[in-house]
This record gives sequence, structure tokens and C-alpha cells, in this order.
Amino acid sequence: MNNKMLNYLLCVCLAAGLSACSREAEEPAAETEQTTAEAMPAATRDSGGEETQALVLLRGLPTLDTTNSIAIVEMDPEAENFGAILYEFETPDIDPPLHHIYYSPTGRVFATAMDPKCSLVEILLARDASGSPLINAVECIDTGGQQVGEDIIWHSVGDNDYMIVTFMGGSGVEQSDGGTIAVLDAQSIEVIKIIEARKSNVGEGEPFIMYPHGLSAYGDRMVVTSTIHPDLATGVGNSITVIDLNTLEPIENIVVEDSMPVGFPSSPVEVLFVRPSIVAGVEPAVLVNTMFGFETWSIAYDEANKTFAAPVKIYDGAEQGTGVPLEFYGNETELFISHALPGVVKRYELASLPELVSSGADIVSDAGAHHMIFYATKSGKQVIAVQNNLLNLGNAADDDPTDIDFIAKVNAHTVTVHDLATGEKLATVNFRERYNKGIDNIEGLFTSGFVHHH
Amino acid sequence: MESGGFGSINKSIAMLSLCGVMLIAIIYGFVAYIEPKPTPLQGFTAPFVFGKFRVPVDNPLTQEAVQLGRRLFYDKQLSGDNTVSCSTCHLQHLAFTDGKARSVGVSGKTLDFNSMSLANLMWGPRHFFWNGRVDSLEEQALAPIQDPNEMAQNLDDLIDELEADDVYPGLFRSAYGKISAENIARALATFERTLISADSKYDQYLRGELKLSAEEELGRKLFMAHPDVKVSLRGGNCIDCHSQFLTSGFNAQFDGFSNNGLDTEALLNPGLQFTTGQVTDRGKFKVPTLRNIALTAPYMHDGRFTTLEQVLDHYNEGIRVSDSLSPLIMEADNQPQDAVNIRISLNLNEEEKRAVIAFLHTLTDHSFITEDKFSNPFDADTMPDA
Repeated sequence: MNNKMLNYLLCVCLAAGLSACSREAEEPAAETEQTTAEAMPAATRDSGGEETQALVLLRGLPTLDTTNSIAIVEMDPEAENFGAILYEFETPDIDPPLHHIYYSPTGRVFATAMDPKCSLVEILLARDASGSPLINAVECIDTGGQQVGEDIIWHSVGDNDYMIVTFMGGSGVEQSDGGTIAVLDAQSIEVIKIIEARKSNVGEGEPFIMYPHGLSAYGDRMVVTSTIHPDLATGVGNSITVIDLNTLEPIENIVVEDSMPVGFPSSPVEVLFVRPSIVAGVEPAVLVNTMFGFETWSIAYDEANKTFAAPVKIYDGAEQGTGVPLEFYGNETELFISHALPGVVKRYELASLPELVSSGADIVSDAGAHHMIFYATKSGKQVIAVQNNLLNLGNAADDDPTDIDFIAKVNAHTVTVHDLATGEKLATVNFRERYNKGIDNIEGLFTSGFVHHH
Repeated sequence: MESGGFGSINKSIAMLSLCGVMLIAIIYGFVAYIEPKPTPLQGFTAPFVFGKFRVPVDNPLTQEAVQLGRRLFYDKQLSGDNTVSCSTCHLQHLAFTDGKARSVGVSGKTLDFNSMSLANLMWGPRHFFWNGRVDSLEEQALAPIQDPNEMAQNLDDLIDELEADDVYPGLFRSAYGKISAENIARALATFERTLISADSKYDQYLRGELKLSAEEELGRKLFMAHPDVKVSLRGGNCIDCHSQFLTSGFNAQFDGFSNNGLDTEALLNPGLQFTTGQVTDRGKFKVPTLRNIALTAPYMHDGRFTTLEQVLDHYNEGIRVSDSLSPLIMEADNQPQDAVNIRISLNLNEEEKRAVIAFLHTLTDHSFITEDKFSNPFDADTMPDA
């Protein structure tokens, strides 16, 4: 069966499964989150009223004659220029466009990318004589040929400060079981080691890494998800891999899979190592969202013995009418999980983690609910802005993701702003209608603003 | 006659034309005089991580204003007896401080406060001076000029002097239009806004250009951490007050003022109370930038400490209790929750104190103190300066 057929079948099955449990049908997603800025940004920078501005990655839509770009957008629904692009830096040479933005602990800005010739970049921000931000350059980082950059975390083990990046395409997207994890020096951004353990190259029963995507670390242990081959057709994962950060070697695979509501492997996507720095006194555990399983799993971690317990399903989207859970975000009191279908953000008490105890009604956004930011409006109202766009892989046939019906249904191309207290939708920016572009990622301009390693 | 008549007419036309040209020239000159068209500052850039800054709408950064402000800053004509310039108390090689515990002006009297460093002043555009008594750089600029102990200059006299100068009328004309007290202040403020320090070792570390040594890195972590015994985190507690340590203060209200335990209640200097009138502000002073801190001794508002070691010792074992003492200092002790008889102290050990000081030394920006565009523009032979 060729890839096109597989892709079609995947879409049909996913559609059928979603229709059964929810409303619409759709398909896979992918992306990342943000990192805790422990040392610098929020603590030392004076925002000067920029808290309501977002840094977004925009996708040019070929049929609408627009170009990929990075933009700064006003997101205060109380502002007269709500939704206005304040600054834009086009990136026509990076295609597919940049994938996800991350702030480093020292305030540098990086983005992963799916362009085979440039899969990781640094965005060089500065300010002009009026104090306004601008982008001096977007510089590609040498990753040693790794492809399809996904998530980034910064983590220290002993005296080593690492920047760790997952590459879902590994050393070549043509590999059917590829995928790598790059360990870089956090200062020089030079590759220290590429962790690669393809299933076909390791012995039977040996730990492997395949289509790595989400990652999270605590102490000397890191967990990485196995999601889906970048072509969305060749293969789907159903496990997470545990990495020993002392040796930078995989040591264990843990399968997180149950009912397979769409008939495919569970496709773990994002993962959160719940740890004391997030919740004081918590017993560490790993939370995993499964994109095709529609589930959230919890895996207790015995810190003393460095062992992981059997996974326990703690949320079942097929039963609850949600599909394609994606991101973990958090503020000081709550954890938020986005579900692309039907387009909601569920909220939980941070202090109750790793249990998922609801802290309020769902935030109903748009189809494709994905990344989010938190900030206060001019009047002081606390709000959450949700970027509603599931997938930005595009369609090889016509190079326009909006032409793919099943993806279009989970690509609202909007950012919806909600009152954080009530969940009420206050305003919407539709980037496709207003700018003829899709929106692939959103991040606060000034600071990451929330806990989230991942 | 006819030809003579035509000749007369031609002459009249020529005269009229000449008058017209002159009139146009006068009008043009007048317009040009009242509406200078200064050039926006070229090549300006500032680090994104310093955060948003705002330049007053009526005093944008322009080439002409910077040039004028720089000259004024170094010009002793700004003092009543022409012996002191701004740079007398703000020496570039000391990161624009003067190395004295408390400065001395034209009166010869020791002033009340230590000279503050001038760096990254755009990020902290409110509440200048140790007691926050002025709200803008423009307002700040005129205060020392008129202070009888500092520069003792009458502003009207100063304007007369500048108008009589060979250079200033042209500089003012192209920057602002005319010589006035307001424009003197605007020019000085503009020059001060361009004093950007962004190339210390720590800046280079933030840009990923180098690594800190192990001792500097320990100091960085201590500097950034508020002690949290629940997670066994030791901290130097510096960041709690010095969150704007790379720049020069806060944008909002009086957030950047604190009582850091220098004196007991009876000996407290009014500090911020002088400005707000609030008794709760007694003993609070502006939390200064720590950029180039290793160059700006002596320390504190009255220069009572001559070394960084003494400063660390103060926070470690010298805190004096008073009503307005910062609670952030009181609760940061690096001691177990069940510890008894705790006195106010950071309880840092010698290694940790040395590490914090090592980190503070990474904030020194050698390019800032040698940058030509910040230096004295006058010929050293004709205009020696302090």
C-alpha cells in the first residue's frame, strides 16, 4: 500500500472514530510547548506593556499568494488594534514554515522547523530606537542533518546544561522507523550527541526511539514520546522512551495504549513530567497525551529506585466526547490540556496533580485547539488565548493545507481569547480571513508565562 | 524714453524679484529655524531582553540631540563658576560614577548622596535620584545644574552663555530650534538615553557567546534564587529587589525602592519619604542598577561600603531592623523551617559570598567605559575635564 493510500485510510479511520465519539473527524497533529525560564526573562525584563502581544508563526497559503512569516500581534481584546500585526518578518526561504517557538532560560528565542535544510533556528530579536521589537535575523543551526524539529527543553544534569531537541524525521524522513534526539550544549548550541536507536537497528526487546516528539525531564531521567512518522502514513507509535541523562542512552519503552478508538496505535504526543518544581511535594509522575488514543495517561515514578510504574489511564476522550489531546500548559494554579476536537481546553487543579481534578468548565475555543498563552488585558482581566490550528504539515499535492478537507476542519486558523475566570469567549482573530495566512504557533512576546516542560 | 522706460521697468522687476527671493529666503529661514528637521538616530539597536522602553514623544532620539547632549554633558560652562560639568561626578571609566562616597560640587560641600551610575536609563524612565524625587530624565538633568552645592548655575545665565558661544546656537538650532532650559534638559536626557551598556561578560553569556566559570555560575544561581527550604534551594536573594539589575529601574510606581536594612529606625534617612510624604517609605531608596557594579564603589546611597565584600557582609550579617525593612530580606535566611533563634541573615558561607561577587564582576562592560561616542568630545588641550 503506498503512502497516499495509507494516508487516506488513516484519515477515513480517524474521521470515523471521531464521529463516533465526538462530532467531526480529523487527524493527527503535532507540536510542542515551552520551557520554564528559570534564570532570566520574566524575572529581569520589564515588560512595558508588551504582555498582551504575541509572537506567532504564520503560514503563507500558496493559493492565497502569501508568505511564511514570524509576526508580533496585539492580543488584547480591549485594545483598538486587537488582532493587528505590529511587526512582521517574512521567512520565505524556510518552507515548510517554522513550527514552534521556545524561549531559552537565558532569554534567547529558538524555533523548530520542518524544512529539511533548516530544522532548528535562532530568532534574533532586538529593539529599534523607538523601543519596538524587531527581528534582525533568523539563523539556521547546524543539527547534523536531523529533520523535522519538534520540541525543545532545557535541562541540567550535574554540571551539564543541555538544550534537548526532538527530531521526528531523525537522520532522514525516508526511514520508516526513524527519529532522533539531539543533545546540544545550552550555551554554544553545538550538538553534543545525537541519540538514535531505531527499532530496526536494536535487538529484540531493546529500548528504541521512534518518531520522537514530546519530551520532559526530571533529575537524570527524560521521557520522550513516539508519535507518528512525519509523512503521517508510514507508521504510528504507541509508547514513550525513557532516557538516562547520565549516559544519554534509552533504557526503557513504556506502552501507553488501550482502546484505540480510531483503530490506530495511540500516538503519544506531548508528555509532562510532574515534579516538585511544578507542584511542591508532589510524588513525581509522567502524564502522556495520546493523539489517536484520545487519552491522558499517568505513570508514577519512584524517584528512589528510578523506576516507572505501569501506566494508568486517567482521562478517556472517547468517553468524554473529545479527541486529539495535545498540549500541557500551566499557570500557578491550574494545568490546561488542549483537545483539538471539538476544540476545547480542559482545566485541572495544579495542586492535585498527577490526578486530573477539574478546576472549572471547559474553555470552548475553535476546532484545532492547540497552543495557548496567558496574560492580563489592559483593564486587568486575566485571559487565555488559544491558537486553533491542528496541523501544519500541508499537502504535498497542492501545497496548501487549507485544501485538505479533513485537516481544514481542525484548522480554524483562529486565536480565540477567553476570560480565564469564566471561560467566556471574548474575541476572535481569524488569521485566514484577515491576513490570508494560517497560524501555526503562538507564544507570549515577552515571556513564556507558564510552567510547561514540558 | 521707451527704452529708458523699459529699462526702469526691468530694474523694478529685478528689484521686486530680488525682494521676493529675499522674502522667501527669510521665510524659509524662519520656518527652518522654528521647525528643525533632526535626523533620527541611525544604527541604533538595543537588546530585546532588556524589555520595552519608551522615549518621550516630544524628545525622540536624534543624531543632533545626541551630539548636543554629549557636548553639554562634558561642558563646564554648565556650572556657575565654569569648574564643574556633569562628567565631573559621572566619569566614563567608572561607569559614570565618581569613585567617592558622596560627591562634591562647586560649593566644596559633600553632597547628600553617592553619585549614581548612568547606564541603560531608558529602562526605568520614572523616579530618578536615590530618593526618586524627579519623574523624568529631562527633569533630572536640570536639577544638579541649579543645585547651589552641585553646579550652582542660573539657567538664564547659562542660556546667555550658550547663545554667546560659537558652536551651541547652531547645534541647538538643528536639534531643537532654540536655546532654552527645556531644550538643554532634553539634549542632556537624550545623550543619557544613549548610554547603553550591553556587552558585559554576562551579556555575552546571555547571547550564548561564552560560558561562565563554575564560581560565576554558582554566583549566578545564588543571585537568581530566593531561598526555598522546601526544595532545598539556597539563594542569595538578590533578584528579589534587583530584578532590573541589567538596566536602571522600574517603569511603574515606586516598585524599585526598598529599605535594605542599612540603619535602625532612629537613624533612617527619609529616602523615598522625601518624595511621597509617606512614613512607610522612610528609609527606602532606589534599587540601583548592578551593571558595572564592580566599577562603581563605594556602595549604597551614602557610599558607606567601599567594597563588594562589605556589601555581601551587610546582607549576610549586618541587617538593621526598622519598620520599613523589606520583608523579602527578613524572610530569606537559608535556614530550615524548624530552625530556632534565627537572626536576619542570608547565612551564605564564604564560598557562596565569593561566588556572588564573582558573578557581579561579570556585569562589567569594558566596551561601555571605553566607547568613543560616550566620551568627552572636547579637545583635551582646550577643554580639560575632570
